[in-house]
Amino acid sequence: MLSLSTLRIAWRNLGRNLKRTLLVAGAIAIGQFAFLGTSALMHGYGEQFFNSATGPMLGHAQVHAYDWRDDRSMDLTLDDVDGLLADIRSDPNVMNASARIYAPVMAALTEDGFMGVVVGVDPVTESHKAGLLPVDGMGDLLGEHRIMVGAGFAERHDLKPGMEIAVIGQDIDGSIASDLYIVRDVMWSAVEIIHGLGIVMSLDDAQELLMMPGQAHEIVIHTSDRELIDETVVRLSQLPSLADLEILSWDELAPFVVTMATMVDWFAYIVLIVVFIAAAASVANTMLMSTFERTHEFGMLLSLGCSPGRLSMMIAIEAAILGLLGVAIGTAVGIAFVAATSESGLNYAALGGSDEYEVAFQGMQFSLLIYPKIYAKDIVIAVSAILATSLIAVVWPIMRIVRLRPVEAMRS
Amino acid sequence: MNTNLVDVKGVTKDFHNGKITVNALRGLDLVIHEGDFLAIVGPSGSGKTTLLNLIGALDVASSGDISIFGHDLMAMSRKQRAELRLTSLGFVFQAYNLIPVLTALENVKFVLELQGVDGGRHERAMSILEDLSLGELANRRPNEMSGGQQQRVAVARAIVARPRLVLADEPTANLDSENSEALLVMMRELRDKHGMTFVFSTHDPLVMAHATRVVTLLDGRVVSDETKNAGDAAGSAN
Ligand SMILES: Nc1ncnc2c1ncn2[C@@H]1O[C@H](COP(=O)(O)OP(=O)(O)OP(=O)(O)O)[C@@H](O)[C@H]1O
Ligand SMILES: [Mg+2]
Repeated sequence: MLSLSTLRIAWRNLGRNLKRTLLVAGAIAIGQFAFLGTSALMHGYGEQFFNSATGPMLGHAQVHAYDWRDDRSMDLTLDDVDGLLADIRSDPNVMNASARIYAPVMAALTEDGFMGVVVGVDPVTESHKAGLLPVDGMGDLLGEHRIMVGAGFAERHDLKPGMEIAVIGQDIDGSIASDLYIVRDVMWSAVEIIHGLGIVMSLDDAQELLMMPGQAHEIVIHTSDRELIDETVVRLSQLPSLADLEILSWDELAPFVVTMATMVDWFAYIVLIVVFIAAAASVANTMLMSTFERTHEFGMLLSLGCSPGRLSMMIAIEAAILGLLGVAIGTAVGIAFVAATSESGLNYAALGGSDEYEVAFQGMQFSLLIYPKIYAKDIVIAVSAILATSLIAVVWPIMRIVRLRPVEAMRS
Repeated sequence: MNTNLVDVKGVTKDFHNGKITVNALRGLDLVIHEGDFLAIVGPSGSGKTTLLNLIGALDVASSGDISIFGHDLMAMSRKQRAELRLTSLGFVFQAYNLIPVLTALENVKFVLELQGVDGGRHERAMSILEDLSLGELANRRPNEMSGGQQQRVAVARAIVARPRLVLADEPTANLDSENSEALLVMMRELRDKHGMTFVFSTHDPLVMAHATRVVTLLDGRVVSDETKNAGDAAGSAN
């Protein structure tokens, strides 16, 4: 029944009312483009969101002493940090693990005193794209009482490279700790705490200042792939050296990020559903109109001995071609859109009339540049859904044709 | 050449339109012989189309018997009737006869395909078109042909599978006399050469002139049945 001539007739019938065909195909194309564009933006957004959320501050997972997250009390430390790091890094999925120290302090420049936070970081292991020292050479500036200060912090207190500041705080025993440091540079960071309060020094300097030999407050872990995070966390938690410590993955550390990511997914699905309802309606309407117009012709074909099944097949193919035509155009435009924007990114801050690229929230940096991404899966889903929708849309016209009596059809 | 191809006995056909019942045929008897070139005439509403539809297995009689090629039409299922139409009958309708999106050649080939003819469709279709001097129209679509040309292609399509009986409901109604004449001459030749049987319903005197036999209906009954001498029919006379 699916013969070349059935296909040919179906195809040419679409050309009979070219304007209507193009209108419907165009409507489906716009829908398909909307879906692909939305999901490409959502994927790009989701990815960027994940990278931002887990970026320098959060990491993919963190290790702390129990209660540290709630109390932030100086003495809730990780001990034998080098041993812990060695254990963690021996896991094949772990790409990076860095220890950090956080301590609220007073800083003084001549007579002025102000609040700050010492952030002790490992100049070597933090020097990567997702680390706290993402710019090449940043790590070399630290050590031997040389520090960097956050840009916002520096501006507020008029700190400039070369200045010497005094840092006064409490060590973990509660005694006064103080020392002098040279401001080596001002550091731009999207991490709020560093930007506004950060006194960034090497881990060694921080351990010395705060009397924390071989100790730290936090280990931040990056795995080699997002998909590996959960299994890695489970495996690490079984390490004997981590038995009394808390290890949490990013989604446990920042549950609101997960909620947002799920919402983003739902948005794409809603667009998809709207697209399919619109596609079904327009295909159904078109096919109904064009089959009504051709009632006489169907009567003639039935009179010749053409079976209703063959006629139905003709209509179904017509609808399928119509749907696929639209979906092909929409997919092509969608892919072109993604190809044009996936490299340079799409600045959606510009849509809001701002030219800032980044915002920060709860210590996380959010870029407003989105890199749209298209997955083959999306195209397959959309194509099969539109095909199925077109065929469902044609059930009604086909039911009419199957009931058609040749003589009556010819009379119309 | 006096075999009974079709035997219509006491056939009635009623149409029910809401409360109104139309008795389109009221006990009609008619025998069609092999080789007839038969014109069915009669005033509008006398039942010509209804009769052709019944003989063509497109519709079912309300009562009576119709046998065609010796088969009892009344006992056939819908599917068997479709099969009969496909294999043994040819149809030419008044207008909009061809599939508009197919060329003349494709229209003819399509019938062969419907019949399940596998090989040589192209050659067979082309040779029919050429036999009927329609070769030049092979690649034209219906909207690129005149009404007369379309009707002649429709005849080509009706006869390509060599049906024993061709039924034509007012085939010349939309044609001028020149085109009507050409069409009739063509069909008459097919009848004379291949012994095909043609049955027309018509108001056209030209068709009656070419017919070998003229049956007149009135109010759903046969009121006259004239068989002409061979010499009377225009096709043979000229
Ligand atoms: N499907 C139908 N429903 C109701 N009445 C019908 C139907 N088909 C035919 N009739 C009626 O049956 C009668 C015979 O109609 P038919 O079409 O056979 O006439 P005809 O001789 O072919 O007329 P014409 O020369 O105008 O074509 C008419 O009164 C017509 O109105
Ligand atoms: Mg009629």
